[in-house]
Amino acid sequence: MTWSDLTVIAPFAAVVVVAALVILADIVKPGNRHLALGVVLAGLAIVGLLTLWTGQAPGTAFGGMYKVDNLTTFLDVIFVAIVALSCLFAPDYLEPRGLPIAEFAAILVFALGGAMLVAASADLLVLFLGLELMVIPGYMLAGYHKRDALSTEGAVKYFLLGSFSSAIFLFGLAYVWGLTGSTRIADVAARVGEIVAGQATLSPGLAMGLAFLTTGVAFKMAAVPFHYWTPDAYQGSPTPVTGYLSVGPKVGAFAVVLRVFAEALLPLRQEWLIVIFVLAALTMTLGNLVALTQDNVKRMLAYSSIAHTGYMLVGLAAYAAGVIGGLEGLLFYGVAYTFMNLGAFAVIAALQKRPGVSSRLETFAGLGRREPVLGILMVLFLLSLTGIPPTAGFFAKAYVILAAVQAGGWLTVLAVIAVLNAAAAAFYYLRVIVYMYMRDPTGEPAPVAHGALLRLGLGITAVMTVILGLFPGLLLPSVSSAAQAIGVAIR
Amino acid sequence: MSQSLDAYLVVSGILFAIGTFGFLARRNAISMLMSIELMLNAVNLTIVSFGAFIPALNGTASVIALMVMAVAAAEATVGLAIVMAIYRNRRTPLVDEYDAMRQ
Repeated sequence: MTWSDLTVIAPFAAVVVVAALVILADIVKPGNRHLALGVVLAGLAIVGLLTLWTGQAPGTAFGGMYKVDNLTTFLDVIFVAIVALSCLFAPDYLEPRGLPIAEFAAILVFALGGAMLVAASADLLVLFLGLELMVIPGYMLAGYHKRDALSTEGAVKYFLLGSFSSAIFLFGLAYVWGLTGSTRIADVAARVGEIVAGQATLSPGLAMGLAFLTTGVAFKMAAVPFHYWTPDAYQGSPTPVTGYLSVGPKVGAFAVVLRVFAEALLPLRQEWLIVIFVLAALTMTLGNLVALTQDNVKRMLAYSSIAHTGYMLVGLAAYAAGVIGGLEGLLFYGVAYTFMNLGAFAVIAALQKRPGVSSRLETFAGLGRREPVLGILMVLFLLSLTGIPPTAGFFAKAYVILAAVQAGGWLTVLAVIAVLNAAAAAFYYLRVIVYMYMRDPTGEPAPVAHGALLRLGLGITAVMTVILGLFPGLLLPSVSSAAQAIGVAIR
Repeated sequence: MSQSLDAYLVVSGILFAIGTFGFLARRNAISMLMSIELMLNAVNLTIVSFGAFIPALNGTASVIALMVMAVAAAEATVGLAIVMAIYRNRRTPLVDEYDAMRQ
């Protein structure tokens, strides 16, 4: 290990140090939430700055296994924002239920380390290690309320399906490694390129390995028909955890997709384009159709998050068809989705500050009058999830759908499916708004006071949702430089 | 000892299939966990046999296999803890009785 290695991995190393410091702080002053949250937030600020600083000078470390390029920096900043916002939203929910905050924050920061490792991997083995480091803390967080039957039930389902898919992914990885002779993403891409160019044949073993990799990744990002764990895991988990799970591991799974499909398997894009096409169409349609029938807002948002996976896959399909705008749309979608979805879950978490409040639709009856600010924010996030201008969600959908239209051919069909789905989705998002403003609550519970951190976090997510909707151009330079890092202009 | 890589790959493929079947067919959370371990062991057998038969992969094979074992151990630890937690709440290890979220 050399000095330059250390500067390249500085953000990742800092994350591990922050996680250890949070645990230490909790040992020195047990149960002191101000200290724990202070350490986490200050630490994450430093990690964010380090990420931006390392991002100035892209480079590799450890003999080319770890790579920092513009895409790494872009994704790392999203991950840091996700974890910081989740830490802001958590205390209001965890404290009344007697759940410790320091451990929550420490587990979350370890998961951040995994996500950053995925984003920076130039080697399939590092990618797998990062993926596991990202999802194993997720299992723990899902079961964080360990005396609650729903939380543990969500956790056990998330864990079993998660490890099952990891095993499948790993089996595929073993074959790809054995038959291409390397785990380096660049070497795998070169070997696959030779096969496509006709200098070598695609052996059945390698084809099988690629199929297993695809299946494993589809599980992780909850694409239909590999989505069964999602609704139970999301509904059962404590609400701030659900918020995190719906964006953190989701964007992390897309980081895996970008590194595996858009980088290692780019030469085979004509082949996987078909798979992604089918996955995207199924995921959007089924996610939205089932969401229509849900009475529980958390479960509804779980299906809606499945549908959003589908929209993001549209961007990936457009990229496979040769439009780099699809990749840019996918990255923009990731950012917009992060803020609007975290915001929506934060509103639910705020409502559930009083233990025993369910996340059923009735909870939202009369919210617009009871708590006007929360009501307005929820409307904003739901309109953004629907994709109505001028919110971030509109441009996110517009970019991926435009890219699909530009790609032409069969992808026009995918664009039409996406537009129809966006229209159908409006129904279930607007239903929550109808409940908030047009239904009278059965009992009139006294409003609860919300913590300063939660209000700060809601403010940040709301402002970002509006800013990205009014001035999407602000994000475009970084989005396109991140896309350029892996996307060669195919056409 | 067989001299062909294919024979080892077939054995590991069969192990993997048994693990997959066990995961899908068993209803006991602990059995499902064991099935996942079997799948991971199949992966390790694949990796080690690639390493034994292809000289260029010899060195990396053991490293990858060791790493897979470490990851499997971490996963099993968390998994057993989660199964313990749900057993305390529900008094059953059978996953089809974990249906509190289906109305």
